[in-house]
Amino acid sequence: MKKILIVDDEQDIVESLKFVLEVSGYVCYTAFNGEDGLKLAKEIMPDLIILDVMMPKINGYKISRLLKYDAKYKDIPIIMVTARSQLEDKMIGEETGVNEYITKPFELDAIVKKVEEYLGKADEN
Amino acid sequence: MTKFLLISEDNEKEIAVKESFIGDEVFTCTDETMIFDILKVEEPDIVIVDGDTELLDLKHLCRKIKQFPVVILLVLGKKEHNKDVTHNVNLFIKTPIDKKLLIATVESSLRTRQSLLKMAKSNQELASSLYQLNVLYNTSSQLAGSLDKDKLIKIMIEGIEKSLNYELSCTLIFRTEREPVLIINSLYKISDRLLEALKLRAILSYKSLLSDPPFDIKIGNLKIEKNIKHNIKEYDFSILRYDNLFSPIMLNDEFFGFTEVYREKPFSTEDATVFQTLVRQVTIPLQSASFTQELKATNQKLQKLERLKSEFISIVSHELRTPLTAIKNAMDIILSGKAGDMTENIEKFVNMGKRNAIRLSGIVNDLLDISKIEAGKMDFKFELIHVEPVIESVKNNLSEVAKEKNLTIKYTPSKDDVEVYADSNRLEQVLTNLVSNAIKFTPDAGEIEITSRVVNARELQYDNCFEEDIKKLQGNYLQVCVEDHGIGIERKDLNHVFDKFAQIENSLSRKVGGSGLGLPIARQLMESHNGAIWCDSEINKGSRFYFVIPVANDKSNFSMIHKQLFQKARSNFTTLAVIKIKSTNDTIEKLMRENNLLNKTYMANSLIEKEGMMTTLTILLMEGDKPSAEFLKKKIDSVIEQNKELYGECDIMYSYEIEGEVHEKVQ
Repeated sequence: MKKILIVDDEQDIVESLKFVLEVSGYVCYTAFNGEDGLKLAKEIMPDLIILDVMMPKINGYKISRLLKYDAKYKDIPIIMVTARSQLEDKMIGEETGVNEYITKPFELDAIVKKVEEYLGKADEN
Repeated sequence: MTKFLLISEDNEKEIAVKESFIGDEVFTCTDETMIFDILKVEEPDIVIVDGDTELLDLKHLCRKIKQFPVVILLVLGKKEHNKDVTHNVNLFIKTPIDKKLLIATVESSLRTRQSLLKMAKSNQELASSLYQLNVLYNTSSQLAGSLDKDKLIKIMIEGIEKSLNYELSCTLIFRTEREPVLIINSLYKISDRLLEALKLRAILSYKSLLSDPPFDIKIGNLKIEKNIKHNIKEYDFSILRYDNLFSPIMLNDEFFGFTEVYREKPFSTEDATVFQTLVRQVTIPLQSASFTQELKATNQKLQKLERLKSEFISIVSHELRTPLTAIKNAMDIILSGKAGDMTENIEKFVNMGKRNAIRLSGIVNDLLDISKIEAGKMDFKFELIHVEPVIESVKNNLSEVAKEKNLTIKYTPSKDDVEVYADSNRLEQVLTNLVSNAIKFTPDAGEIEITSRVVNARELQYDNCFEEDIKKLQGNYLQVCVEDHGIGIERKDLNHVFDKFAQIENSLSRKVGGSGLGLPIARQLMESHNGAIWCDSEINKGSRFYFVIPVANDKSNFSMIHKQLFQKARSNFTTLAVIKIKSTNDTIEKLMRENNLLNKTYMANSLIEKEGMMTTLTILLMEGDKPSAEFLKKKIDSVIEQNKELYGECDIMYSYEIEGEVHEKVQ
């Protein structure tokens, strides 16, 4: 089963994302701050990471940069989720190697669809 | 009384001269050193030289006397004199001396001398007045060039010094409200006693000038700034006995400071006038400087407020949207049935919750939009687009809601195939607002009509109250009309529906909900598109909302629109880089059309300008997370490389400016 890591300091958001993704057949790991998220990413080698931008300790862009510049993890797709909708953020995202960019408020279905684009439907695997 | 100096050892001649000028003063002398002492101390009007004197070298003597302001009369006797002597002499008389002739000669030459002296004196006065005027002129032009209070005061003091040659000047000013400064400019050093006396005097003058001094000055808090020209001498109390001039420096009727100057030589009336003029001249620039200072302070405050507002917006956007997202997500999960079965009632009430969460997030978004527009921080992504797909998409998105009320939405597209230069997301926002309003206000089973067509600005029909917005339009526009069959709007309210929070005033429409910001946002968005929005209505029959956007293919307004949009972009964002691309063919337009340049990576704005055969495309890059100049340069190079592949070899010249540095590249 494909592993997804969700990193967001909003526990409720993480909870609902985890629920819909697990229902869709993925295995989810969660972290509520950047530091834990980065540690977990290196530990479990997820197939995809869903990242929030604004988080305590290490922000999403930093995690993305750290992973994307490391040959071991650079191929893990990263979906960035944030309330900030300003276009300039996208620039930083692209610079740091973010694969997808979804702005809050988002539809849960939209995230599931994006994940399926990268990992394929869970039941097909 | 006339003073004579007679140089002769001949008694007869001395008697003749003395007898001729009884009552006048005659010094007789034959000692060369004595002669010049007398000339210096007594300042005689006339020197009579005996031509027969044996004791002196006349040639040398006359040449030296000539340097003094006296008339030289040579008494010619037996001796012959060469021109070395005669050239240096003003008058001649022969021996034996004819007294009458001597008197007449002397008197006439003295009269001439008098008038010459007078002339020299007035010439000198004229020259000094002219000099003072020059100083005044220079000082005033210097004053006009500065808005720095300290500098202005310095210029004033320098001006006074140049025109009046004072020995000491004291100027009291307040650098800040609580920082009095006494500026002392002195020719020589000043003793400590004198300094204390000057401080006391300044404080006394300050207190006597103002009946109710706003700030207290004490010897302790009075700051001293001394500028001493020469250290060779020291002034003491005696300088206070010198002549002085004093003037307060007033801004309007407010006290700014005062200045006082001391000089040993008495000041004339002209000097006083010059002094007053100089002091008065400084007040106007000082006033401007005060205003500038105030303006700067206010500006800083405003900038701080602006920053706070932006911070507030971003906090609101994060803090309000995040919980809303969580609420909506939770209800979505319940409604999807993935969390388990639910009763009909649960579904009904969760739906109600979701509907209201969506409504709340709509209001939050509206509030954010209006604050962004007002702060000039709205991001637009202008592209050449067709409006029809946007209208179709809005129609489809809202068809569900329309169906609930059993309404039909009819759309008649324009027959002309035209493009507009617009941000499709914002256009969709405006249309969604108009159509959902129409749905709200049309009774069940009614009809909503959307039409689009190309019109010329001259053919537009509108109520007078919209004239302000519409009269500036020129050329061809794409007009979209959304017509409902609802309650209608009273004529007096037509214009006000576009005002912020207008709906709150209207209880009937409040029932249907909304933030009341949709139409004001739409109006602002249309303005940003160089278009306009307005409406007409008939009570109980329905309303028609129109908006227009300039047609992009229309050559007449294409460049104008671009220029305006470009200017707007320039003022709204900090420019990080400017790229100019020149070409002699239509490659640029192709590039622009496919929007293939930097827009994908960056928030960019571009302007096409045509000059004869040359087309220039300027792209403005907006400031983001400040990518380095190096990074940008690489990015631009890669884009250029990319375009080469896309369009093949073409005659293009690129030049780009990053953070002020110009790079050029010819391809």
